[in-house]
Amino acid sequence: MKEMTQVPEVYVLGGYQTDFARNWSKEKKHFVAMMREAVLGALDETNIEPKEIEVAHTGNFAAELYSKQGHLGAFFLEIDPAFSGLPTSRHEAACASGSLAIQAASAEIEAHRYDLACVVGVEQMKTVGAGEGGDFLGTAAWYELEAKGIEFPFPKLFGKLGDEYDKRYGLKDEHLAEISTINYANAKLNPNAQTRTWYMNYDHAMSRDEFNGTIGGRIHISDCSQVTDGAVAVLLASPKYAKKWADRNGVSLDDIPRIKGWGHNTARIRFEDKVAESANDDYVLPHVRSTVQSAMKRAGIPDVSGIDAIETHDCFTTSEYMAIDHFGLTAPGESWKAIEEGDIALGGKTPINPSGGLIGAGHPVGATGVRQVLDCHKQVTGQAGDYQVEGAKNVQTLNIGGSGTTSVSFVIGK
Amino acid sequence: MLSTTSTASGKSADLLGSREIKHVVVLGANGAMGLGSGALFTTAVPRVTFLARTKEKADGGLAAAVKMVRSSTVANRVDTGSYDADFDRVVAEADLIFEAVTEQLDLKQQFFDRIDAVRRPDSIVATVTSGLSINQLAEGRSDSFRKNFLGLHFFNPPNVIVGTELIAGKDTDPKLVDFLDAFCTVRLGRAMVRTADTAGFAGNRIGFKVLNECAILAEEHGPLLIDELVGPYTGRAMTPLATIDLVGWDIHRAIVDNIYELAPDEAHETLKLPQYMAELMEKGVLGRKTGGGFFGKDDGGGRIVLDPKTQNYAPKSSIARPDLAFIDTISNLHRVGRYEDGMKAFTEASGPYAAIAQKVIAGYISYSFHRVGEVTDDISGIDRIMGFGFNWAPPSVLVDTIGLKPTIKMIEKAGLPVPPALANAQEGTKFFDDPQVNVGKFFVAA
Repeated sequence: MKEMTQVPEVYVLGGYQTDFARNWSKEKKHFVAMMREAVLGALDETNIEPKEIEVAHTGNFAAELYSKQGHLGAFFLEIDPAFSGLPTSRHEAACASGSLAIQAASAEIEAHRYDLACVVGVEQMKTVGAGEGGDFLGTAAWYELEAKGIEFPFPKLFGKLGDEYDKRYGLKDEHLAEISTINYANAKLNPNAQTRTWYMNYDHAMSRDEFNGTIGGRIHISDCSQVTDGAVAVLLASPKYAKKWADRNGVSLDDIPRIKGWGHNTARIRFEDKVAESANDDYVLPHVRSTVQSAMKRAGIPDVSGIDAIETHDCFTTSEYMAIDHFGLTAPGESWKAIEEGDIALGGKTPINPSGGLIGAGHPVGATGVRQVLDCHKQVTGQAGDYQVEGAKNVQTLNIGGSGTTSVSFVIGK
Repeated sequence: MLSTTSTASGKSADLLGSREIKHVVVLGANGAMGLGSGALFTTAVPRVTFLARTKEKADGGLAAAVKMVRSSTVANRVDTGSYDADFDRVVAEADLIFEAVTEQLDLKQQFFDRIDAVRRPDSIVATVTSGLSINQLAEGRSDSFRKNFLGLHFFNPPNVIVGTELIAGKDTDPKLVDFLDAFCTVRLGRAMVRTADTAGFAGNRIGFKVLNECAILAEEHGPLLIDELVGPYTGRAMTPLATIDLVGWDIHRAIVDNIYELAPDEAHETLKLPQYMAELMEKGVLGRKTGGGFFGKDDGGGRIVLDPKTQNYAPKSSIARPDLAFIDTISNLHRVGRYEDGMKAFTEASGPYAAIAQKVIAGYISYSFHRVGEVTDDISGIDRIMGFGFNWAPPSVLVDTIGLKPTIKMIEKAGLPVPPALANAQEGTKFFDDPQVNVGKFFVAA
């Protein structure tokens, strides 16, 4: 990890998430409508005028494929006339695209280039059927080697992650089913969660009939995150702007959450190369471990006991299972202990995905990293409603692109 | 904004603790509402008994419920039986008896007789009636029955549509109403609306007024044009006449006849079933379930459309579309999320066709606001049931999106009464009060 130097802090003023249960293709809408609702919602939520925004960043994975449209930064200007001339850009790192947009905006604030940035993550995925969409998602892996001609490549890759755990430490379906059950249960408390009205219980997650068939090896339907349309916007600010904003809104600067730490690593893109590299490591995905540790270290938090809740990347139950020991909630390979102890459920020692995560809340790929940061903001400001973690002060994200390839983590706290 | 809102409401926790529902009996569990509601109860209740005329029918209901929610685990919590063999025993055990039999007053009353004879004095009896009077249904029942009896109106299909009406009778225990409101909200994830015991309650009263008005207009203008004029761009997922076809013409007639008879109001004539529909129903036309209503398919699978004047069908492709450029303009604005601009273009559109659409929408807003105090205590109840029950833009969302003054102007231009709540409001007032709802979702670009 690079030596830390004194840089301005980045404040998270708030934001807005679209309802992930919406199907924007059925509404016959272009993704710019989604961006518009998210950005205008965020401005309204934070009491900020469009003309105050100095720079905009978009996180998006594959609009070229889903909507045959690139150049998403430019679509900011379609949101409001006040954005005319605004510097914009678009960032892509598969499912970690949203976090990279936040990284870029943060870096610019730290470099004193701008005082107020708007970040929007967006993905419209229901423009195509499940098979075609699964193929598009395959481009987050090494397409030619891992995805081409394979039906639903990603469930299969994350099934292999489960297989690797099984080989090294043992892995039971019951524990994966419990992860799914918790995420769905939390989603019922989240008014923006895609699955909030879906039928789910532990028995269903354990069932193996036509309604919960296998998608790839040990991965069944209930182990998967969702195909989701959604956009999320957050406003990030320098101390200078945050102070002004705090005064304007009659709050103390100390009450505004900050990005206290970040971590960002990349591993080799092919899953089997990652696993080969970690053969002698305690951790199956050591670069993911580095990412969460870097974020904690930068935040001045010695270990996960200083983290009150986690919003992690449960693209499949196996990825959350991996996150549990990689965050340090248990010793390597012992994630099941935290599940059995009830530590990760809402009300447990370190709740994971109080929002419902990617399985329960939904996974609009390019928006997920931004959604996680917004949910952290809601938690540490006590605005998470029915999925509030009591007294949450520091909440951490883990956003993963590909099969554990690009990892980004943020610690959000006051 | 920065605030420290509390988490789970202590009030609903207290209410939920005030009673227990461990066993629900569903009567009419082979029908769509019965089996759908039964499946919903299994998400929160450990035992649900499906009853029907025969055990085979109840088993069929369970199989359909499994398919509806796509989980075999529904069956883990369900047992089945028949009215003859099991009724008295399971109804005597139940904490909640949920009546979903055919929508006929005398039939429901026969069931209530039997329930009253065997139920525990503290068990809840709920009916899913979509319009029969709760007070009338309770007439002649025991004191404890009337105290524990209410309307719980789920919308079909209950696993998808969360809007739910809760209707107390004059003798219903207010504590039971509070409890069931909390139970359905927290345990079943419902968007609850309390309504008065008036014909059609809130949702159907307003929704079917609009649908029937479209059916009346279809006589002169044809179903195709009316469904486009009052189409998705005006704030709904499904077009009005296609909705009547889906619901069934017989159900439509039962609802509007009931409202027409019992609730004469300022829009009385729009609730009168068109004669052509009555005549076609005589010939067996009931909508989608009989193969067609306003819309259908010919033997070759081609789409055909009813001509109400001749009561014959014509190929859809043979019906000319007049110049409806204003709809295209509005749809294009909705498509990119410019809903205010879209609805501005709507109120400013000119010509006879725009006037028809404006009159229906103005009528919907005017009629909804005039029902406040009659069917619900405030407009937010009506907003909730239209948004979450019908999937239509709630009246308040339309006012907010169109703007107060242009809304009033549109209502006046249509020759309809301006609701006092609008006439007396300050410019800039926001009427829709649920920040959790993405209002944009109601404006479909079609």
